[in-house]
Amino acid sequence: MAFVLATSPAQAFPPAAPTTDDGAASAQRGLASRARSKAIASLPAHALLAVLALVSIYPVYWMFVTAFRPNSDALSTNPLPGPVSLENFVTVWQQIPIGSMLASTFGMALALAAAQLLVAILASYGFARWSFRGKKVLYLLFVGSWLVPFQVTMIPNYLLVSQMGLLNTVAGVVLPQLCSAFAVMMLRQHLESFPKELLDAAQMDGRSSWQALWQVVVPNLRPALAALAIMLFISAWNEYLWPSLIMQKSTALIQVGIRAFLGAEGNNWGAIMAASTIACLPIFLIYIFLQRYVVDAFVRSGLK
Amino acid sequence: MFAHRARALALTAAAAVAALSLSACGASSTGSTTSAVIPELSADQKVDITFESYNLAQAGVWSDTINGLVADFEKAHPNITVHAQPPQGGGAVGANTISSVQTQLLAGHAPDVAQLTFDGFDFAATQLGAQPISDLVGQKAIDDALGGAHPFNPNAKHLADWNGKTYGIPYVFSTPVLFYNATALQKAGLPADVDLSTWDKVEAAAKAVSAKTGKPSVDVACTSIGGNWCMQGIFKSNGASVLSADRKTIQFGSDAAIDTVTKMAQLTKDGVLRNADSNSQLEGLAKGDTAFLLQSSAVQGMLMQAAAKGGWQLKASGMPGFGSKPAVPTNSGSALFILSNDPAKQRAGWEFIKFMTSDHAYEQISTKIGYLPLRTSLTQPGGSLYDWAQKNPLIAPNLAQLDRLQPWVSYPGNSYVQVDDILGKAIEGVVYYGKDPKSTMQDAQQRAQDLIK
Repeated sequence: MAFVLATSPAQAFPPAAPTTDDGAASAQRGLASRARSKAIASLPAHALLAVLALVSIYPVYWMFVTAFRPNSDALSTNPLPGPVSLENFVTVWQQIPIGSMLASTFGMALALAAAQLLVAILASYGFARWSFRGKKVLYLLFVGSWLVPFQVTMIPNYLLVSQMGLLNTVAGVVLPQLCSAFAVMMLRQHLESFPKELLDAAQMDGRSSWQALWQVVVPNLRPALAALAIMLFISAWNEYLWPSLIMQKSTALIQVGIRAFLGAEGNNWGAIMAASTIACLPIFLIYIFLQRYVVDAFVRSGLK
Repeated sequence: MFAHRARALALTAAAAVAALSLSACGASSTGSTTSAVIPELSADQKVDITFESYNLAQAGVWSDTINGLVADFEKAHPNITVHAQPPQGGGAVGANTISSVQTQLLAGHAPDVAQLTFDGFDFAATQLGAQPISDLVGQKAIDDALGGAHPFNPNAKHLADWNGKTYGIPYVFSTPVLFYNATALQKAGLPADVDLSTWDKVEAAAKAVSAKTGKPSVDVACTSIGGNWCMQGIFKSNGASVLSADRKTIQFGSDAAIDTVTKMAQLTKDGVLRNADSNSQLEGLAKGDTAFLLQSSAVQGMLMQAAAKGGWQLKASGMPGFGSKPAVPTNSGSALFILSNDPAKQRAGWEFIKFMTSDHAYEQISTKIGYLPLRTSLTQPGGSLYDWAQKNPLIAPNLAQLDRLQPWVSYPGNSYVQVDDILGKAIEGVVYYGKDPKSTMQDAQQRAQDLIK
């Protein structure tokens, strides 16, 4: 830290004091000119980013536009919205139990995120706090489990859930995914850089390891935990394949329920877009109210 | 994209479970064939059965109609409870019926009655554990059930027979129909009822429309991935076949098959056939981007809505043939199979299948969903579907094709899906991407042959 410049280069190496007003004006003009040149030079980059932003946001825009069109206009290629109609939302409301789907999906995502966070806190604390035989191998196994494709574990997990009698239950969706190796890895990085002095101080105060975790570590890691929890919730909310395998009733979870408007005899695009719009709402709300944490989560995970 | 990814994942699941499940179920599937007819249910015997239907995966009239029929059945048979469920997994509707049953079989709770598509019929009969219904209830009971005042169409009746036994009762299916935008044809100077009975005539009409619009005007679902069920009909119409009669030799590298895909590729070269996936094809005709679409007759309802909205006239013609050879349509769709080994559930399953293929069921299925009534005489004067058929003249080519219907051939062995994919990709390569027909089709034939050995 001591070698970090506390001031800007301009402050560290101030220009020679102007001797006249003309000199000051000239210096200001020079600065303004440099700023203009810099702005002009960055224009292509900003233009590219703007185009990429538009490309990214257009499908979402199209989803909203199609959802709010009359169903008979679902295949319209007019990029402008309107005429506005709630017909597709009425169809969704009448043909699938969208309310209970949202509630079930919310419960599933919340339970999954909470469970994964709890397991990640305990596991990463163990890895960061203690040295024990086989620690590296165990950690590699965690990392390795993250690298195993879902398709490999899908059938054994399905059999296990089936034998436990949890098919067609939210518990069956949640149970095999209680541990997120990604969450453990992320939290371990944070805990590795956690000041050991604080833990030593807690020990000297007579706190047990368990108390130190909940009274010292967790409160200090709140921003990172919040960011991770949001990320886990979003990931759980967007789960599709595993829930579609376990929840055979297509009316159980929202991501599976959207499929009900896809068919061999044509897709009901208006209803699909309306159901997708509704399915996106909780994530949009999270983003609106917890924007800082969401961005933080993606930055911390390296996914910008 | 969504459907392709989901299908790929479903296939991965199917491949993963195949080896395990088949070894587990092999004994039951081959060793449980009963010679004695299963007993009738006693008056106070209560039975629960599970019914898996891909129609239940689709919201709206599809699931409403099937659930309504299930409720009607339970009312008529108060001692039998039917738990109706869609297939599991994320596949497109109708694309993962076999893999869903496989996975559940592995877990020890396969559905008792399942609606399975004909592409997996060989697999269902030989390895999945489908029970020979003619052994369970006797051939006479089947004949009686499929007879009556409005009997099954003779060409539909035996589509799920295997080695002299009935393994499934054909349930819902359709045939390939050439839908066209008569308004667009008239704008191109053609009569609305232009003769489209051969591919040459289709090409001539399409050239007139394309000259007017400046873009390809024909879509053919059969030549795209997923359309092999009707491509088999196009092959047969030109004297080709995908599989030999003894079911041991793949034949889509034959001269006749090569000639068939070469002729279809010529439509692309002439600028009338568009390269689009199945969904885009459907939406292309609906939006007026194209004027002709050879597709399953089941899409008729969707196209009728689009035509009414777009203010154009929808007409239909039978599948085109080649020159003077008669067109040979094949069927899409599914049959109902009994998978349970429990005699009581088998009997309950049979009662349920009889109900779901009864006059009442087809009245509901045809008028609400739009599928072809396999008891075709229901549409004739005096039949309960006569008025419906009169109001829906577009079903006429579909009904007429039943008289020339040939079965959708399923491939032998565990790799029937891969064989289908190999053929689909080869056809797309030749028809849409200009690959050499002979080398492409013969290479595909060799690869497919290796898979069925």
